[in-house]
Amino acid sequence: MLKNSEQDDFQLIKLIAQSRQDAINELYERYKRLVFSVAIAIVGDQGVAEEITLDVFVQVWQKAESYRPELAKVSTWMIAITRNHAIDILRWQRSRPEANSVQWEDRTVQNGPLIHNLEEQIESSLKKERVRKAVAQLPEDQREALALAYFKGYTQSQISELLKQPLGTIKTRIRLGMQKLRKLLEED
Amino acid sequence: MEEPHVFDSLPAYALGSLDAPEAKMVAQHLAGCHICRSELQVFQEVAGQIALTAPQAELARDLKPRLMERIHSLNQQARPKPWLTGRLIPIGAMASLLLIGALAISNLVLWQRLDQLDVLAGPLGMRAIALQNTDAAPAASGFVIVSADGEDGVLVVDELPKLDAQREYQLWLVRNGSTTSGAVFSVDESGYRGMRIEAPQSLLTYSSVLVTIEPVGGSVEPYGEHILAGSLFNP
Repeated sequence: MLKNSEQDDFQLIKLIAQSRQDAINELYERYKRLVFSVAIAIVGDQGVAEEITLDVFVQVWQKAESYRPELAKVSTWMIAITRNHAIDILRWQRSRPEANSVQWEDRTVQNGPLIHNLEEQIESSLKKERVRKAVAQLPEDQREALALAYFKGYTQSQISELLKQPLGTIKTRIRLGMQKLRKLLEED
Repeated sequence: MEEPHVFDSLPAYALGSLDAPEAKMVAQHLAGCHICRSELQVFQEVAGQIALTAPQAELARDLKPRLMERIHSLNQQARPKPWLTGRLIPIGAMASLLLIGALAISNLVLWQRLDQLDVLAGPLGMRAIALQNTDAAPAASGFVIVSADGEDGVLVVDELPKLDAQREYQLWLVRNGSTTSGAVFSVDESGYRGMRIEAPQSLLTYSSVLVTIEPVGGSVEPYGEHILAGSLFNP
């Protein structure tokens, strides 16, 4: 049984590039909840998030040959694919006149029950807790700016308009928030 | 005088929250600055970890069978295989082998004369269309080959700038002002890539093609910088 390490993730990607279905199956088991959780946190809809999850793993299947380990970990790569796909859909929904976009305050799971069996999660609960604690240590205004950028795909100008704060203030919040988060994560 | 580093902009760039003009400026700097690229990678990892704060949610039970069904379906269409050492031309359907043959014959000619090539009538009625580069990638070149019936097509690009992990190239098929994605791809060290075009309809029904830079995984519409473009043979 493979351990869930980055090296093993890369081995899986190499096997997927050779059309090994058992490898995509294993990768799916490792990352399905993380991918789905990110997707639903962004789009706020269970069905859409499921389609995004499927699309992400299909993309991994199709693009495994082009994965470059020197640029990003497998998990970072997959999260980036998930987030970009979900935000594209979110922006498309926003652009429609009938769009009913989810407000930031509603960034919680509305249609799906929470998972209780943490042992089955792909990323260890310890790591998640570490990140959550680090984010919790950020000042509220920095945390809010980062969340709007990350989970809603807003640009700094859009966040400035949304929060009715000067653009320079938003830029500072995002820069300081990311720098502090980096420091906190490096300390652990 | 050397261009100043863009350290202050990198956290927002990693989040994808820079406004377009500043993002373009940062991307241009990153292309030639390994120090900032290295710093960006760190912030991209930090941004990736924010994902872990998303509330955990349960998946529908039938998702895995649906995934395997889609993969099986892709396999039925024949997964792209490498062709030629170091120069990969993924080809799907058997009919596309005709395109490979034409490409192999005309490859050297095309690479030498791309700047003079507009539309090349190939064997068996195939067409090779040279793409025009833009100021965003002045060294880039590329062409599209389309089979006589429009059911198969290949895109070949060269000397495209390498992108960071957050971005990929995307090919768009254009018709009546609307766009359809034809491929999402990255390039090798020399900026080369060859691939089959995935078109929902015959390529004969599209009027032009466009290559842009988009977030990894591709966009639903072309938002990013234009890199290559070319008119097909349709009005």
